[in-house]
Amino acid sequence: MSAAGAATSPIRAGRIALADRLPELAIPITRTLIVAGAIASRDYQDVHHNAVLAVQRGSKDIFMNILTTNGLVGRYVTDWAGPDAIITRVAIRLGAPNYPDDTMVFSGEVTGAEKRDGRDHLTVAVRGANSLGDHVVGTVELNVPTC
Amino acid sequence: MSDDDFLALVKSYEGRPCGPPQRAADPVNQPMIRHWVEAMGDENPIYLDPEAAAASVHGQIVAPPTMMQAWGMRGLQASLNPPAREDRTPMDELTALLNEAGFSSVVATNCEQRYDRYLHLGDHLVSQTSIESVSEEKKTALGAGHFVTTRVDYATTEGEHVGSMTFRILKFKPPRSTP
Repeated sequence: MSAAGAATSPIRAGRIALADRLPELAIPITRTLIVAGAIASRDYQDVHHNAVLAVQRGSKDIFMNILTTNGLVGRYVTDWAGPDAIITRVAIRLGAPNYPDDTMVFSGEVTGAEKRDGRDHLTVAVRGANSLGDHVVGTVELNVPTC
Repeated sequence: MSDDDFLALVKSYEGRPCGPPQRAADPVNQPMIRHWVEAMGDENPIYLDPEAAAASVHGQIVAPPTMMQAWGMRGLQASLNPPAREDRTPMDELTALLNEAGFSSVVATNCEQRYDRYLHLGDHLVSQTSIESVSEEKKTALGAGHFVTTRVDYATTEGEHVGSMTFRILKFKPPRSTP
């Protein structure tokens, strides 16, 4: 998915339409991000901070925990939708792990939009891909002010 | 134990609550929100800037919605020290059964979170987890394993339901690592 048609960030109310694409966002996957995300989410599973034990458990290296992926997905969507967005649902499926020294590129597309109660209720399909493939594929439901 | 008996045993945990409701160690608070948004690189001002938050639809500082699960995480010491046998929850028992059968590695595969509302500073969460399903043994790219799906409901200590989560992990046999 290219960044063609990318909206300015944050979006302005009333400018959203089906098939709108979110601007892409590249996240460098560093050891620091993996560990900081794990600790900020109080996830002390050793595979998220201890490379030696991660390898013993069958992994190539430490890898990002799912709570951090959730946080990044939420950030990606609200970077675009702005501070008046209200997220109501995030559903994600994990694939290729986020190992250190990779880059994950988020892309997204509006797959549902309806006006209700003075707000635009949107469904956004989100994908975060690294060098191994799709790390995360998911759906975010949110509502934003309408005009 | 035969494979059939083992499957019947792990499947007997389906539908069981994972012990009593768990009260989060701390209420929703600014320092933990700050750690989270700094880690995520999230510059949405509604999480840290009182004036911007007040001017937004949220009306006050709120926690990032995707942080919901973090409030109830058990923390470092409990992660290092598994509960004594008599204090085990059904989820601890199921985890131990799978570990003893060789499915000792774990990876999260799916997460669905639904938010009734954003959380405010001072909200104190209570979570109730139940085991929704345990799959038969599946061959996966990581190794043979069982998918375990749990459902968590989040409420405030005042009893207001604020969100829920369906969380799926794969408990799998790690491929033998060469030293």
